[in-house]
Amino acid sequence: MRQVGIVGVGHTKFGKWSGGTFTDMLSLAAVQALDDAGVKTGEGHGIDQVFVASMGSGIINRQSGIASALVDTLNLRPAMAETIENGPASGASAIKLGYMAIASGMCDSVLIVGGEMMRVVSGWEGTDFVATMLHPEAEYNYGLTLPAFAGMFTKLCMEKYGITEKDLSVVSVKNHEHAVHNPVAHIHVVPNLYAISEDEDAHVINPYVAEPLRMYHVCPVSDGAAAVLLCAMDKADRFKKKPVKIAGIGQATDTHAVAEREVPTDLLAVRLAAQRAYKMAGLTPKDMDVAELHDAFQILEVVESEEVGFFERGQGHIAARNGETKVGGKMPINTSGGLKAKGHPLGATGVSQVVEIVKQLRGEATGRQVEGAKAGLAVNFGGFGNNVVATILTKEAE
Amino acid sequence: MIVDKMEQSLRPVETPLPEYPTKYITLATGEKMVIRQITRDEVPHILEAVKPLMTVEKDFYDIVASRMYSELLGYYRYRVKDEYCLIGTIDGVIVGIVNGRTVDDKVGMSYHTMTLKQGLRIGAQLFAAKMEYHLDYLNQEEVWIVAESPNGFKRWMIEYELESRPEIWHELGGVPTYVLTKALWEKHKASKCTGRRPVKEELLKTSENPILPETYAQIPGYKRCAK
Amino acid sequence: MSEKMYAYKCTVCGELHHPKHYVCRKCGARTFEEIELGGEVTLLTYTRVYNLPEGYMKPYIAFGIVKFENGLTVSGQIESENLEIGMKLKTNVGVIKEGIGKDYYGFVFKPL
Repeated sequence: MRQVGIVGVGHTKFGKWSGGTFTDMLSLAAVQALDDAGVKTGEGHGIDQVFVASMGSGIINRQSGIASALVDTLNLRPAMAETIENGPASGASAIKLGYMAIASGMCDSVLIVGGEMMRVVSGWEGTDFVATMLHPEAEYNYGLTLPAFAGMFTKLCMEKYGITEKDLSVVSVKNHEHAVHNPVAHIHVVPNLYAISEDEDAHVINPYVAEPLRMYHVCPVSDGAAAVLLCAMDKADRFKKKPVKIAGIGQATDTHAVAEREVPTDLLAVRLAAQRAYKMAGLTPKDMDVAELHDAFQILEVVESEEVGFFERGQGHIAARNGETKVGGKMPINTSGGLKAKGHPLGATGVSQVVEIVKQLRGEATGRQVEGAKAGLAVNFGGFGNNVVATILTKEAE
Repeated sequence: MIVDKMEQSLRPVETPLPEYPTKYITLATGEKMVIRQITRDEVPHILEAVKPLMTVEKDFYDIVASRMYSELLGYYRYRVKDEYCLIGTIDGVIVGIVNGRTVDDKVGMSYHTMTLKQGLRIGAQLFAAKMEYHLDYLNQEEVWIVAESPNGFKRWMIEYELESRPEIWHELGGVPTYVLTKALWEKHKASKCTGRRPVKEELLKTSENPILPETYAQIPGYKRCAK
Repeated sequence: MSEKMYAYKCTVCGELHHPKHYVCRKCGARTFEEIELGGEVTLLTYTRVYNLPEGYMKPYIAFGIVKFENGLTVSGQIESENLEIGMKLKTNVGVIKEGIGKDYYGFVFKPL
């Protein structure tokens, strides 16, 4: 199979997009990636395929076929184009399909853009939209939401492993501190750990969203887009920077209805996806220098860090307490700020995570750089864990 | 101004009301917000903080700011009976304003809640402080409330489980009223209202001369010009 | 008229399912029979959700995942002030969402 690498990255500032239309937002990230790679947007661009990752472009923004629209506005015709939807894991899935397109020999160069513009609707319309990924009769009709399942999952993990609300706040503050050094992060304000966990006023200013998860344990609603340009490693000379290799991709699905999961405190799809990715890359958890783990709810970062093999089950929160997961620690996680502080435009997230790993491996993560990073893992979590994609990137030897 | 017989007859009779006891809340960033009542002669200064938002359509700021402006002006010019205004300040900068009045010793009429610095639930805290004033310090039995924005409706009508009383028409445009009764307040106040008293001298001092915000996130590109 | 909830039993191997699946998750067969689902349940986990989606006008709703005596685990709304992992509840079918033109029915578990 042909080797595939990433030669260009782009990323808009996550938050409230007011720079034009949805396609404008995708275009901004796209041209950043093309510029980063040294690709001119005119004759001879050489892009064979465009994948756009977005969950809500149809539902919220009332636009279908958005990949085709993007190809035209970027003047990349007649490149092939599809829109990829895999809930919050759309981004990583789009990268996986781009990988497959090149590895199969069908394409040499694929542009992936993930984007979501959620802030055009109200908070509870947004919550409702996200809930559409749940089982229609068994879950959605009950008014169940992603936060509801995250709350129930957190309750079980707290009972079984002794994780506390304060532990989740520790992870949240760590992510916010990382985001201060990430210019494209949604939130640059850092909450104060004592104020949100132990202060007398904490229970009111950090109220429950879905008990026992509190406001500061849950990611914000963000607009934003991120892009990567994939190329065949053996045809990478025409680009400005050395490619970062996609060494492994793994994906796994689990039951749709969360109540049907075999072990309710496990994230089985995360474990399987990571195992498959390690196998393909010929690497192990110990080889990872940095990771972006999908932390829409801070409990997910803790459990994912265990399921991907960084820590024993039940030890993830202890590692966080001990500072092992911050930049400079033994296993830096979410150096970008994670979904918590960087933001979570659903379709963009999977691509955004890969952008951060690329920056880390290139040595471009100013202010939050993991020294000498050579391999990184990104985990993109779809639904409430019923479809997970893991991606491993490696830096080629000089 | 000269308070002659004419002016006297245009003014409402004022009921002496106890002052709201100043408190402070530690917000999520660790910053301390001081919540205190303002005096009548502070109104012109506070109006300058309200003014820039009177033309911001988003999130209903224009109607809230415009109505609040006229209410505060009414308070200043002695044309509204028993009105009060509370402000929240962080390091002296005004971050939120709430107001209302008492109808009689039993009933309060909530006017408006306006957040200047978004993102820290300041509006929610100031609304709770207002309710605290009516029900815990003025010892009233209920407060009449309406909302202009969906956000407001969600935060108050739904979260406090306000009693719907469509037969009462609120002063603000005669729209059907929702009521916070003493019973509902007792049920929800633990999870909604917080803060510490008394406020230490040093912290209190910061709020003495409220500072007008230089910029407003709601108004991109705005910068207050020095007078 | 009281609404009922059903489990779906594979006619080949007897495996119970809820919600409905097209293919039996144990043996791969494709025919099922309906068995009424009810009785006493054990609460496995719960939450109180304060940020509800569009259309729900309550300050919060309690949800939980419960286990039936036959081993099936399902999620549902819970109407109980007191919530504790391991507590017993009884199955009740009620309105879980008010719709336009029709209401949606589902599990609303209540104290015994």
